[in-house]
Amino acid sequence: MAETGVILKDIRKSFGNVDVIHGVNLAIKEGSFVVFVGPSGCGKSTLLRMIAGLEEVSDGEIEINGRDVTDLDPSERGIAMVFQSYALYPHMSVRENLAFGLKMARTGREEIEARVNSAASILKIDHLLDRRPGQLSGGQRQRVAIGRAIVRKPDVFLFDEPLSNLDAELRVSMRVEIARLHRELGNTMIYVTHDQTEAMTLADNIVVLRNGRIEQQGSPREVYENPANTFVAGFIGSPRMNLLDAKWIGNDHIELAGGKIASPLMAQRLQDGEKITFGIRPENLAVVENSGEAIPAKVDFAEYLGGTQYLYCQLDDGQPLVAEYRAGAPIEAGRRIGLSCAAADHRIFEASGARIR
Amino acid sequence: MSNKSMNDPLHPRPSRLASLAPQDEGEGARRSNTLEGEGQLRLSSPHGEVRNGAKRNEASNHEGAWLRFKRAKTLRKNFAYHGAGLAIALFFLAPLAVTLLASFRHGTEARQPAIPPWPTNGFSLDSYRSLDSFGAGVWQHTVNSLAVSLATVVLTVAVSLLAGYGFSRYRFPLKNVLFVLVIATLMIPFQSILTPLFIILAKLGLNNSLVGLTLVYVTLQLPFSVFMMRNAFDAVPKEIEEAARIDGARDLMLLVRVLLPLVLPGVATVAIFAFLNAWNEFLAALVLLSSNEKYTLPVLMMAVRAGRLGAINWGAVQAGVAVMTIPCLIVFLALQRYYMRGLMAGAVK
Ligand SMILES: Nc1ncnc2c1ncn2[C@@H]1O[C@H](COP(=O)(O)OP(=O)(O)O)[C@@H](O)[C@H]1O
Ligand SMILES: [Mg+2]
Repeated sequence: MAETGVILKDIRKSFGNVDVIHGVNLAIKEGSFVVFVGPSGCGKSTLLRMIAGLEEVSDGEIEINGRDVTDLDPSERGIAMVFQSYALYPHMSVRENLAFGLKMARTGREEIEARVNSAASILKIDHLLDRRPGQLSGGQRQRVAIGRAIVRKPDVFLFDEPLSNLDAELRVSMRVEIARLHRELGNTMIYVTHDQTEAMTLADNIVVLRNGRIEQQGSPREVYENPANTFVAGFIGSPRMNLLDAKWIGNDHIELAGGKIASPLMAQRLQDGEKITFGIRPENLAVVENSGEAIPAKVDFAEYLGGTQYLYCQLDDGQPLVAEYRAGAPIEAGRRIGLSCAAADHRIFEASGARIR
Repeated sequence: MSNKSMNDPLHPRPSRLASLAPQDEGEGARRSNTLEGEGQLRLSSPHGEVRNGAKRNEASNHEGAWLRFKRAKTLRKNFAYHGAGLAIALFFLAPLAVTLLASFRHGTEARQPAIPPWPTNGFSLDSYRSLDSFGAGVWQHTVNSLAVSLATVVLTVAVSLLAGYGFSRYRFPLKNVLFVLVIATLMIPFQSILTPLFIILAKLGLNNSLVGLTLVYVTLQLPFSVFMMRNAFDAVPKEIEEAARIDGARDLMLLVRVLLPLVLPGVATVAIFAFLNAWNEFLAALVLLSSNEKYTLPVLMMAVRAGRLGAINWGAVQAGVAVMTIPCLIVFLALQRYYMRGLMAGAVK
């Protein structure tokens, strides 16, 4: 059976003798929106550029819709790419920018006209067609760059941090726009970003990368709720998950900052007294009276965001911790509080970082 | 005339000035309205209202005077600015004008040194006729010069475009060493390699040929040009090229349709330098060319300036200078817009 979508088979890349991508295996379903997310320098762009054909693959194979494209020219892969810097042709009008790829492919004049006009109306840039890129604002340039991708009718759209050069407000509206575009066009889209909010809001499927390796892959909900290791747990979510040094003391209990927390674990792989990392998201912590069951903490300062507050606290052994607090009454800095959390929200990791389920 | 332009919508400056006036009026009217309003509120103290109103009127008068003063000041500043510019331009244009005027002096008058530098006995083309009597005729030499210069421009641009692109975008072993080597040849005075060049051209059967001379000029021109073009390509973002590759533009198509327009300032700079240097070059032309009808204009000018039997025909000299200057002016004026940008791009990046 011919597989559809994009398939990466053991992709490796080295620049000189520096290995940047260490064997990436990935299957991307046709029509899905996949986001590569990871810290700066982890190889997201390199991976995307290899799919585009702008960077040669050191080892491995790339398949797009059942076709091995590993050694094909970028223009023959059925892809279109939107760059962070827009990369519009400055000497051409918007119309010429959109039409350039079609002209290169020797498309008929009427066909070009029709496709350019339809792309322009999808992106609402009809009135800009006769301007030069230099006369456009950042957001308009980005639309033109996306338009240039649309007219090629690619199998796969590639975006490399397309919103990073826009201001915060525009970024949100363009994000919505891109999501709408995916719904309307239904193409496969691969989107690179270092911004986990963009990743969470856009993706059907998130691929978390670190140092040229895939750390975890799954739906935003999976990645958020069931992180495979401390890296993913800390990277996805804002504010990030609290990752606290703790000790497994056996009998379904964890020792944290001198206190004890009941945490039933299915897999009993741990030795009594073994060091672990205890993960809990800020929104899963509840502020309670300081009693036996609760984790005692001191509030260092409180951040009021309207509707919710983030409490930056310190445990008794000095470990920092963030808790979200939704109730109305303000909590002033310096107060001692108790924090409690449901056992279902505990995320326990080995000292090496891997998740214990 | 000024009245006409005041009403002419095509002249933005006067019309803007004109539109300033009613705007002022409008503001004044608005002010008096608010004054009335205030007056109604303060019926109980009419004196206060009057005093207040007087103050306001005074203020708006004062404002008008200030505006007039400012306008006068900018006018004066503009005048000084343009005056100074005009003086400097005159200073630079004077030699050209003197040459051009002097080249139109009459017969015997033309043979004297050019004082005063304009024709006193009416315009004539005598000087140009006597210029034509030197060598193989001025047309022949002009054509020689033009052929060599234009061929130099075309070859230099073509080679430096490709070399600059290569040095900017490809990675290959010893790239930087090679580049430095190319640039380093700029430090060799070319007079010192004239003899070897002569021998090489003789071996190739290219001595006393305009093709040989062109090749020498191109060689001399290339180091600077390659440097210039590499800078120009370095300034073009890599993503634009990549976008074009995804769009399906390859090789020559990519270079011509996408990159060439972006490095045009660099190309213009290279072209101007190549043209001017080839057009004005004297020594290599004198050494490498040996037959009369092959000489380029600078060599002809040498002969003209040397005169016949010790008598220098100043008119012919002026005519020759005029002939030599005109193409340079045309090339420079045609390309200077790009040329300035090219120099800037190379400098600041
Ligand atoms: N052309 C190149 N030559 C050498 N190293 C490169 C090149 N491009 C990228 N790298 C290196 O590869 C790593 C990954 O880069 P990149 O894919 O751009 O990261 P990201 O997009 O995730 O921020 C970085 O460490 C970077 O230094
Ligand atoms: Mg990147």
